[in-house]
Order: sequence, then structure tokens, then C-alpha cells
Amino acid sequence: MNYLLHILIMINIYLVLAFSLNLLIGYTGLLSICHAAFYGIGAYISTLLMINLGMNFFLALLLSILGAMLISLLVSLPSLRLKGDYFILCTIGFQLIVFTILYNWISLTRGPYGISGIPTPSLFGFEFSTIPRYFLLTLIMGIISFIIIRRILISPFGRLLKAIREDELATQSLGKDIFKVKILSFLIAAGIAAISGSLFAHYVTYIDPTSFTLEESIFIATIIIVGGMGNLKGPFVGTVLLFIIPELLRFLGIPDAVAANLRQMIYALLLIAFMYFRPQGIAGEYKFK
Amino acid sequence: MNILELKEVTKNFDGIKAVDNLSFFLKEGSITSLIGPNGAGKTTVFNLITNYLTPEKGSIYYQGEEITGSLPHRIANMGIGRLFQDVRVFNKLTALENVFVAIKKNCGENPFTSLLFHRRVAKQEEKNMAIGLKWLEFVGLSEKKETLAEDLSYGQQKLLSLARLLANDARLLLLDEPISGIHPEMIERILSLIKRLVQEGRTIFIIEHNIGAVLKVSDWVMLLDGGNLVASGLPSEIKQDQTLREVYLGV
Ligand SMILES: Nc1ncnc2c1ncn2[C@@H]1O[C@H](COP(=O)(O)OP(=O)(O)OP(=O)(O)O)[C@@H](O)[C@H]1O
Ligand SMILES: [Mg+2]
Repeated sequence: MNYLLHILIMINIYLVLAFSLNLLIGYTGLLSICHAAFYGIGAYISTLLMINLGMNFFLALLLSILGAMLISLLVSLPSLRLKGDYFILCTIGFQLIVFTILYNWISLTRGPYGISGIPTPSLFGFEFSTIPRYFLLTLIMGIISFIIIRRILISPFGRLLKAIREDELATQSLGKDIFKVKILSFLIAAGIAAISGSLFAHYVTYIDPTSFTLEESIFIATIIIVGGMGNLKGPFVGTVLLFIIPELLRFLGIPDAVAANLRQMIYALLLIAFMYFRPQGIAGEYKFK
Repeated sequence: MNILELKEVTKNFDGIKAVDNLSFFLKEGSITSLIGPNGAGKTTVFNLITNYLTPEKGSIYYQGEEITGSLPHRIANMGIGRLFQDVRVFNKLTALENVFVAIKKNCGENPFTSLLFHRRVAKQEEKNMAIGLKWLEFVGLSEKKETLAEDLSYGQQKLLSLARLLANDARLLLLDEPISGIHPEMIERILSLIKRLVQEGRTIFIIEHNIGAVLKVSDWVMLLDGGNLVASGLPSEIKQDQTLREVYLGV
């Protein structure tokens, strides 16, 4: 039972990541490869606030969201001035910088040693300390994030994002400040990714920079590309599928050491196959031109 | 009154003068057409007015105010709208949504307003609906309102992008080949819409290869060749002009 709940908790955490990245990739047409950076920023900010200042989880969560939003400006302001491949390279650069900082700022993050003993969240004396309780927390946070994202996406703002994705020049010719709109979309995606990071950190109670690497960013982008871009179904399908594959490998009795490598290979093959044969993903409505 | 004025505007591409020291003005409330052979620099003139390209030399004025080098979306917000040679509708949006995007001062386009002030945004959307339906009806696309733009015919897409400009409240409409590549009935429809828009006080600037058709509706015609204005005048004068034959037929 706990095993199943553990998987569901991880799925919830990744659903939030996938939905927020879909805002950039699927709606705005921005192939951003630095989502794990915001995931990590969320994890570290809320961890450090709780450990060092004894802050309540929910306040720490809120501040980690705001922190990630603020930091997103550091990458979105320069990168959004660039087009196409240069934009992607800029986000990859940002991802690498964030990893390097987490790895080397030892006095703050303890670098490669990681931070252990991260406190579990509690609300009015109710501790989310068992797996079923934590599942409940991730479910509630997941639903709240989903409602927020959905509301944004079906709003005139979501429509404007799609217009930019379809044709930047035409959107601009209608008097829209596309630079500003893209910055906002980045800001929101980063803030929501921080929720996942915080939920992850206080669940596993130990974090180190290796959870927030470039590979992780590529993995999150793979979820969207395989699942489908530009609607609410895609990220859901992608997340569930990519989490079921490793469990199936385990189920087939493949030893863990082999399974880990095999999993990476399957993900890579899926990514290439989808890009090539079905660029809109399983349930998507949009594909890169 | 002059709504638009270009003064000695020049634009080069790798040493080729696409637009060469060009000066002209447009009268408010008129239909002016810009004709000329392929590669004459017509689309480049539109790109310069909307500042998708910045001129190397010269200046551009809209309603007496200099707009050279202003950001494209600012220029659009001042009232200069553009229909692209390659239509550029939003493929994955419905016809109605295409028009919605064009509406100005739409409070729901701020994500935080959309998130927190649901009522206000819903009210705005009701207004948008009225505006959207009005312009779709104006161009005769009411029945296609739920159709994805990519599923419309080429002519319908041109009508849709015209509706988009009108919802955007453009006062000066730059139309790049609005009647090329569509069937004759549709041409008549678009030309009659254009005439109605001028009666409402808008100004129209058309690039066209279908010279016969545009000469019928234009108040003024300018002939561009090699980035230069080689002739301009009333349609009746241009028809007689020797340069027109030289430019097009090389005789
Ligand atoms: N962005 C650009 N970069 C380089 N050269 C360009 C660019 N845009 C236009 N040109 C060149 O400038 C010249 C004028 O092009 P323009 O598109 O303005 O012609 P046009 O009169 O609109 O032609 P058509 O009737 O075929 O649309 C052409 O020689 C074209 O190749
Ligand atoms: Mg042209």
C-alpha cells in the first residue's frame, strides 16, 4: 500500500512540474530546459527557511514560490530577447549555473553533502508525517495548482499565450507586448515548479543537487513532449506513462542496476521517437514547427 | 490631413537598395494603392512603417508624430494595423478567438487579474463576445465562428485577419495583397468591405498585383520599382502612364 502511495506522491509532484512546464512549452511555444532549476530552487529555499529560521512549512512554501518567481527574471529577461535555439541554449546555461551554485555554495547548501533531516510539514498541529498523510498533502497541493493553471490557461491570458505560440509577429501586430507576456508566463511556470520542489524536499527529507540536474530538466521536458503539448491532458498522460515504465521494469524482475540504465535509454528513445513520428505527443494539439 | 508620412526613407539588404530614399504621404480617409513588380520593395515599405525593419535613413510620421524606431506593438496600439501577405492567422484558435486576441485593453490578459478577479474578467469577456461577433458578421464569417482558423479557406482567412484588424480598432489599415489568390466573388466582397471602412473614416493602404481590381477602388495610386516611386497619380492617370507599361511589360 505504502509502495503504491509513494508512487502516487511522486506522480503528484511531477504532475505539478509537468503542468507548469506545459505553460511554457505547450502554450507559449518556449522550449525551456531549466525546469529542474526552479524545482531545485523551490526545494532549497523552503528547506533552508524551515531549518534555519524554523518557519512554518506553508509560509516557507509561499516564500519559495516568490523566490523562484524572482529568480526566473534572471533567466527570462536575457533569454527571451533571443530566438529559437539561442533561447534554448540560454535556459540550459541557466540550469547549469543553478546546479553549480547549489553544488559549490557549501556554507549555504552544504553542496554535494546535501541537507538531511528536513522537517515534515504541519498545519495547526496536524503532522504530514506518514506516507498516507503526505499523499493527502500532495494531492491537495496538486489540485490547487491544477485549478490555478487551468484558470490561467482558459483565460484571455491563456488565449494570448497560444496566439504568441502560433504567430509572434501577428500577435505583436495587434499591439501586444509579447516580451512582457512571455516573462509573465515564465514567472508563473517557475513559481509553480517551486511548489513541486518544496513538496519533494519535505517528503524525502534529504536533498542534494543531483536531484536538480540538466538531465532532470530534460526528463520533465520529455514528459511534455511524449504526453502532448498545449492542452491539459498531455502532461497528465506523459507523467503517468513515464512513471509507470520504471515500475514495469521492476515488475518484470529486471535488477535495479540494469533497470536504471534501461530506463534512461527508454526515455531517450521515446523522446527521439516522438519528436520524429508524433511531434504533438500522445494527447497534444500542438507541435513544434 | 495627412495620416502617414514617409520622409526620405532608405533600407538596404546587403547592399541592395530595397527602399531607396522614399517619400510620400497618405490622406486620411482615402484608399491608396501601392503597386509594382515582384521585389519592388512594397512589403518592405510596410515592414518599415510597422518597424519590423528599422530604416537606415529617413523618418516616418503617423498623425504628425514621429514613429521611426518605435516598438512594433506601440505602433500597432497607435492605430496602424496590418494584414500580412501570408495572412498569419492563429491556426489553432477558432475564428472567434482570433478576433478576441485583437481586442485592446482586455483586463483578462493579465494572468493575475484572471486568477483573482473572475467576475471582472467574465464581464469583459461578454463585451469581447459582442465585439467579436460584430466583426465576424461584418466580414461574413458568423457561421464559422467556432471553426479553427487553419480549417478556413484562404479567402476566409483573409477575411478573418481583416476582422481581427477591425476588432483591434486600427485607423490605418496596411493590406498586403488582400485579394491575391482568391476567387472573384471573394474579391468583390473584400473590395466592398474596404469601401465601407473608408466611409467610416478609416484609411486604407493596399499593396496589390491585381491592378485592374484595385484601380477601381483607389483614390490614389503609387507605382514602386526598385525601391523608388516611379509614378503616382489618380487611377485614371496611372492607367495611361507609360511607366506602368515599362515597369510591368518592359516595353
Ligand atoms: N528580410 C530581408 N532580408 C533580405 N532581403 C530582403 C528581406 N526582405 C526583402 N528583401 C529583398 O528586398 C527586395 C524587396 O522585397 P519586398 O518583399 O519588399 O518585395 P515586394 O515588392 O513586396 O515583392 P512581392 O510582390 O513579390 O511581394 C527583394 O529583393 C527581396 O529579396
Ligand atoms: Mg510583398
